Amino acid sequence: MKNIQLQIILGTILVLLSAAILIVMGVREPARLAEYEVQQRAGQIEFGAGVYINNCTSCHGSQAQGIPGRAPSLRSEEFFTARLDEVGWQGSLEDYIISVVTVGRQVSTRPELYPGGGVPAMPTWSEKFGGPLRDDQIRAVAAFIMNFEAYALGLEPTAVPVLPVVDESDPASVGRAIFLTAGCTACHTISGLSTGNLGPVLDGLASRAGERVEGLSAEEYIHQSLVDPGAYVVEGFDNIMPADIVAEMSEEELDSLIAFLLTLE
Amino acid sequence: MINALRQRFNIPPREEWRERIMDMVDARVRAITAGLSMKELRAILRGDEPTEKPNPRYKVITTSFVAHLRPRYYQQAATWFSHTLRLGWFTTFFFVVETITGVILMFYYIPFPDQAYGSILAIESNVFFGELLRDLHRLGAEAMVLFSWLHLLRTYFTGSYKGPRSFTWLTGVILLLITAWLSFSGYLLPWDQLAYWAVTVGSSITESGPVVGPAINMIMRGAPDIGTGGLLRFYLQHVILFPLLAILFISIHYYKVSREHSISLPAVVEETEMDPNEKKEHTRRIDLIPDLLTHEIFLTALGIFVMLAIIYFRWFQSPLETHANPQQTPLDTKAPWYFWWLQGMLKIDPAAIFENMLGAVGIQVELSRLLDSKFIMGLVVPPALVIILMAIPYIDRNPSRLARKRPFAIAWGIAWIFIVLAWSYMGTPEYGIETPPATRIIQDLAPEEGEGPLREIPFEELQAGIYTVGQDEAVDLCPQYSYIPEGGDEHDLVLGCPHLTAVFMEFSERLRDAEVDGALPNLNARLLVEQVQHNLFRLVPHVEWSDPATGETKTYEHTYFLHENRAEH
Ligand code: HEC
Ligand code: HEC
Ligand code: HEM
Repeated sequence: MKNIQLQIILGTILVLLSAAILIVMGVREPARLAEYEVQQRAGQIEFGAGVYINNCTSCHGSQAQGIPGRAPSLRSEEFFTARLDEVGWQGSLEDYIISVVTVGRQVSTRPELYPGGGVPAMPTWSEKFGGPLRDDQIRAVAAFIMNFEAYALGLEPTAVPVLPVVDESDPASVGRAIFLTAGCTACHTISGLSTGNLGPVLDGLASRAGERVEGLSAEEYIHQSLVDPGAYVVEGFDNIMPADIVAEMSEEELDSLIAFLLTLE
Repeated sequence: MINALRQRFNIPPREEWRERIMDMVDARVRAITAGLSMKELRAILRGDEPTEKPNPRYKVITTSFVAHLRPRYYQQAATWFSHTLRLGWFTTFFFVVETITGVILMFYYIPFPDQAYGSILAIESNVFFGELLRDLHRLGAEAMVLFSWLHLLRTYFTGSYKGPRSFTWLTGVILLLITAWLSFSGYLLPWDQLAYWAVTVGSSITESGPVVGPAINMIMRGAPDIGTGGLLRFYLQHVILFPLLAILFISIHYYKVSREHSISLPAVVEETEMDPNEKKEHTRRIDLIPDLLTHEIFLTALGIFVMLAIIYFRWFQSPLETHANPQQTPLDTKAPWYFWWLQGMLKIDPAAIFENMLGAVGIQVELSRLLDSKFIMGLVVPPALVIILMAIPYIDRNPSRLARKRPFAIAWGIAWIFIVLAWSYMGTPEYGIETPPATRIIQDLAPEEGEGPLREIPFEELQAGIYTVGQDEAVDLCPQYSYIPEGGDEHDLVLGCPHLTAVFMEFSERLRDAEVDGALPNLNARLLVEQVQHNLFRLVPHVEWSDPATGETKTYEHTYFLHENRAEH
């Protein structure tokens, strides 16, 4: 009967070890739950960013900075502090976003500023009402927008420290580095590079520059905007772009900068 | 006075009290243990002989419902560890683990497509021990599948399916199918990409069937695609129908073993001449109570401990990918590993094989019209294999169970192990599936789902920039930069961005190799890293090349977002 007793002893030890594992896991469990929630939120934001890029940039801008004359910024201080009172929404901002995105906007509340696509100003997004997005995608995109809060309230620095990698043989690459270092980032947004908002968003510049001023090609127009910003002032903006901002640059540098701006399709 | 009262109420004297109470307790204990007295229990624990005659330990087996499924005893040699390896026992153990953890999970799980995934997230983030429960359930499921296969192999190699046990074998094969379906139906429930596509691909096999194929597919999925109806169907099968069938068949299967044929004696004991004393020892009775039971309790403790340890040390983690998206077929659909053999088999094209074979002897035929490979490899071969498996006891007429007297059966068994392993290898997602090189390289760097080196770059190292393949192959992409990893101090200072650099180098090298090989002529590739939010980066590997065949320019890129707090696995 030795065997039985051995098994009872070993079995008891195993049960005690299992209990020890469970106790250790149990002690750590609240922290694990909290951490999982943080990670889950992070995953949701990553996922929501993808949803945003695929659906919303054409109206709200590549960085949610808004496009004047089309749709509002979703990362302005005003949006995070005053918008709910303005529309009289009782719940949380996140719920507001979810609700607006779910049903869309038949008519704009600010038609002169943000007419969007006309009627509807913003289409319905939810699958339930014929849109393309599932509920979890809408919740994710709302989480992504909410993640601008720290930035909108000025809690996180705007400027993104960038150490550009320059390909000397490629003028656009050189121009990109110039753009990042010549102070343009303070006023202009280019997706992924800068977030300034005193001047127009430069995304898509190359495609619209040719139509700005009659008789000027895209390249000529951009050249003019740099050397003589006051010659044509983009609608909705003041003539505040420094007139001498490219004065110090060599001809070559200026060409590189223009080459870079021309890549912004 | 007291004595007068005693007499008045008929209270017995003190000495009798103890005895009376003990009798009452004993009667209760006998009722609960279905026949064992206190004294007997003590004797069992001490390892003494039975205290009464007839042996009360056998009585339990006739009077207790639960115990009546059990044998009174096994012969000593049948309990050898080397004989059964306890594989059938552990399969049952895992089934019990699945039932218990499954019932608890049912309290939290919601079987509707719009809520299922969220409810799994809630289990992971909001339920105390929720992750543990999921891990236990998932680990137990995989173990149950594995152990039922191993158990099949053991009964095959010990020849235990022969003679009277052929019915046990038959019910065993049915159990194998039930186990497979239990795991397959459970696989869908988390409603993530992994689940959705594995089950979509798996169930599409039926579609190729003649006449009723599409109808079966429809019945299974509840609609042309798996949706609310399909999920509910899978769920109900997973939690009600198949567990009940499993309980029924395990009971039948086990009843045959425990009450009718017992566990087979090892062939060496049954079929070889041996010293009568030795034989007597090997056929000595090992009683259920206490020996077998103690052993089983020990195995239970062992099983629980091993499972907990595996989970504690994170050797096993339940996967959870992104939400199911019917619009987006993932690049690599992954069946669970225990179905790789089936997936591998589906990659075999019998028509092509026959055509080649006939072509070799000079006959040119077109068979692919006649032989639909999905139909044959998916719907004809597997059922045929199951039928052969069931028929093994009737095919193998060799009466001996001794390995050396059945060389053919043993060789056949070993051959099949290798065949199934080979099919499984062919079933891995990478095998035999041509992915365009640019896609493959980016996918290897950062699979659509899961981790991969790109996602493992520490957040601190993400430095905005456009890194161009062929130009930025410096030792370090960000020489001016340094950072202190989270939770470290200045001693842990990292110079530059070694991880980002390493990922970029790998990306470059593989692309350049492909360029040299001629797969990606006129290569023009870069990795864009940009900051989207204060704690969110966007990474876009981008590849341009001229198509070797047509010369037109092709591009492939994929966007990844990395958040500072993303889970690190
Ligand atoms: C067709 C253009 C268009 C697209 C595309 C679009 N929106 Fe809008 N959106 C608008 C307009 C216009 C408004 C503002 C209407 C108003 O002021 O009442 C708006 C308002 C909003 C608001 C409320 C803002 C506020 O200040 O009240 C949110 C949140 C929003 N959109 C999110 C999104 C998201 C998320 C997407 C992508 C899934 C998206 N939008 C795509 C045009 C668009
Ligand atoms: C002090 C803020 C400020 C700075 C710094 C600045 N800009 Fe501007 N920029 C503006 C404003 C405001 C406008 C719109 C008014 C106008 O057209 O002059 C503008 C317009 C432009 C336009 C024309 C955009 C269009 O859509 O037509 C271009 C191109 C441009 N800037 C490029 C640059 C470059 C390149 C730099 C850096 C060398 C730069 N800006 C620096 C404020 C600024
Ligand atoms: C859910 C799956 C299964 C369970 C729970 C199960 C359980 C058991 C148990 C507990 C035993 C007692 C002996 C032992 O522990 O090895 C047993 C014996 C047996 N099983 Fe299974 N089994 C399963 C699947 C199978 C399969 C797939 C086969 C083969 C096709 C099979 C064939 C047999 C045979 C032939 C015996 C008798 C062994 C002997 O007498 O030596 N079983 N089974």
